[in-house]
Amino acid sequence: MTARLSARLPVRRLVAVPTLAALLAVGACSGEPTAAGESQPPARITVQVGADPEEAAVYRSLVSAYQKAGGGEVELVTVARGDHLTRLSTAFTSGDAPDVFLINYREYAPFVQRGAVAPAGPLLERQGLKTADYYEEPLKAFSYQDALQCMPQNISSLVVYWNRALFRKAGLKPPKAGWSWAEFVATAKALSKGSVKGVGIDPSITRMAPFIWSSGGSIVDDDATPTRTTLHEPRARAALQAVVDLVGSGATPSKEQLAAQDVDEQFMTGKLAMFLSSRVEVPALREQRGLDFDVAGLPVLGTPASVLHSDAYCVASSSQHQDAAAKFIAYAVGQQGQTITALGGRTVPSLRSVATSPAFLSPSRPPASSQVFLDAIPQLRHTPVTPAWPEVEDVIGNQLQRAFQDGVPLDEVLAAIRAEADPLLRRR
Amino acid sequence: MVLGSLQRPLQPPPDGLDLWPNPAEWSNYSTVPRFMPLTRLLLNSLLLVVVAVPITVVVTSMAGLAIVTARGRTRRLLVGLSVFMLLVPAAALWVPRVVLLRALGLADTPLTVALLALAGTTPFYVLLFALACSRIPGALLEAATLEGLSPYGVWRQIALPLVRPAVVAVAALSGLFYWSTFMDPLTLVSSPANWPVALGLRSLSEMEAALYPIYLAAAVVVTAPAVLAFAVGQRSFFASVERP
Repeated sequence: MTARLSARLPVRRLVAVPTLAALLAVGACSGEPTAAGESQPPARITVQVGADPEEAAVYRSLVSAYQKAGGGEVELVTVARGDHLTRLSTAFTSGDAPDVFLINYREYAPFVQRGAVAPAGPLLERQGLKTADYYEEPLKAFSYQDALQCMPQNISSLVVYWNRALFRKAGLKPPKAGWSWAEFVATAKALSKGSVKGVGIDPSITRMAPFIWSSGGSIVDDDATPTRTTLHEPRARAALQAVVDLVGSGATPSKEQLAAQDVDEQFMTGKLAMFLSSRVEVPALREQRGLDFDVAGLPVLGTPASVLHSDAYCVASSSQHQDAAAKFIAYAVGQQGQTITALGGRTVPSLRSVATSPAFLSPSRPPASSQVFLDAIPQLRHTPVTPAWPEVEDVIGNQLQRAFQDGVPLDEVLAAIRAEADPLLRRR
Repeated sequence: MVLGSLQRPLQPPPDGLDLWPNPAEWSNYSTVPRFMPLTRLLLNSLLLVVVAVPITVVVTSMAGLAIVTARGRTRRLLVGLSVFMLLVPAAALWVPRVVLLRALGLADTPLTVALLALAGTTPFYVLLFALACSRIPGALLEAATLEGLSPYGVWRQIALPLVRPAVVAVAALSGLFYWSTFMDPLTLVSSPANWPVALGLRSLSEMEAALYPIYLAAAVVVTAPAVLAFAVGQRSFFASVERP
């Protein structure tokens, strides 16, 4: 009976976490100011987000808190992440777009180029939102054609997740800020014992870009208006070669191991001592009973660098209720809204005052070193904001996978990337 | 799937599959409604199947008979048109469908997806019925017409009883289609309250690995009605496809 009761506890806990977050937030909402001078309630709006079920619960809490704070009616549409862009594209093409949608900066340029987004800057200004209170990097990433198009909700970066128990077992000290690539490789090799592998790195440009930038290279010829990729150039190639050499050393999971489990799942099960990802992994890792983990900054090849991970709320240009949409966004990225999403664990708040508050930094819940995400902010760069970028990312990812997992020579892969990706960039 | 649904959540993903989880976590099933409005979505799907399947059978069987009774070039043209429509990628139809249904004011209801049944759901079912009807002796259909039966009467009293295996097959296939489709409601139906259960299940599919037992419990619940329907109707199904 006791065993059965204890077995039920985790399920209650997982439901309780977002509920608690909602209650805390709703309770704290009593002091949230509403937009002044409005006599009528805002119009009903539709908000679409791509989210997994637990993240969806956080957004439901956010909407509920907004409505209790005097906001208007909101229909929240949460769809699976993999279906988010499909539904958005179809909805825009058919004239049935949501008033507000959440999107990553790497994917929003095509929507802006097609005139689907109403610039958020002026709309939010009317709601009294001050962009000076927010970190600059995501604001820059969501500025296109010299205007703030969408309002960033978070500012995550690439970090190293590390298993503290496996480090202790291997007799290794915790990673230090600014550790070198050589130290990183040596640590990965030292951790690779028996069935445990040292580090897992997904073959994608968002994982590789920080190392390329760190070694003084670049990923495209011009960040603002890219016309070709530059991964084949000496400094970028050297960084990629360093990663390929690490893969070749046997300190990373084999192709078969990766086919069986993704790197995050291998980390959860103790088969992997380190892996690279953004803040998005935190809720899942927190739920793993017995997993003792923390985060560390990326290793440095030359100068410190990391890559921005950020999502923002956009207003559809076809929306008939753009002011109501802006009011919702102002709340969602405001003190209360960002506190709710920060308590969910998945986001690094883009609002400075929340990012430096216990809602995000509290060491009582892992990772204890959440400050690492904030320390990386001055080093953040972002991948090009251009309509062709999602396709370019796919091309680079597929080719890097050949180099990392199939043993295809790096130069052959880089030539293929130039052949496939460069025409996409020139197609603009 | 059933064994996976009984695993304890919030545990590391298993390396293999236990023959029987110990302890079996039956409470995963009661947790599912906390992640999606299961009852409402199941009712939406049930309504969808109950409405769409009979319409599909009627429309496609009539169309199949029409192809068979057409003559010469018209017949070849209709068969060619059906095959051509079958070649059109489903993704190419998403936007036109949304535009059309919005213009008609029929988008965003629990039965919006059932409107596809008015177009036969897929030309494959039409071709299936055309094949089945082509085995009916032409003299029989002509005699029925000479006896004064209307085209409806020929379809209802002569053709339909003779193509019963095709009726059962199309009913089963379209029933499964409407029970499991999620792309059509994803693009056609705006409000989550009007979604069928398959789309709700789809949204759970991105659950974190630690919560997969709950996702699998939802999958069992969503699959069970289809399996149950087959178990109940299997005698009729096999009787219709067996040779006398």
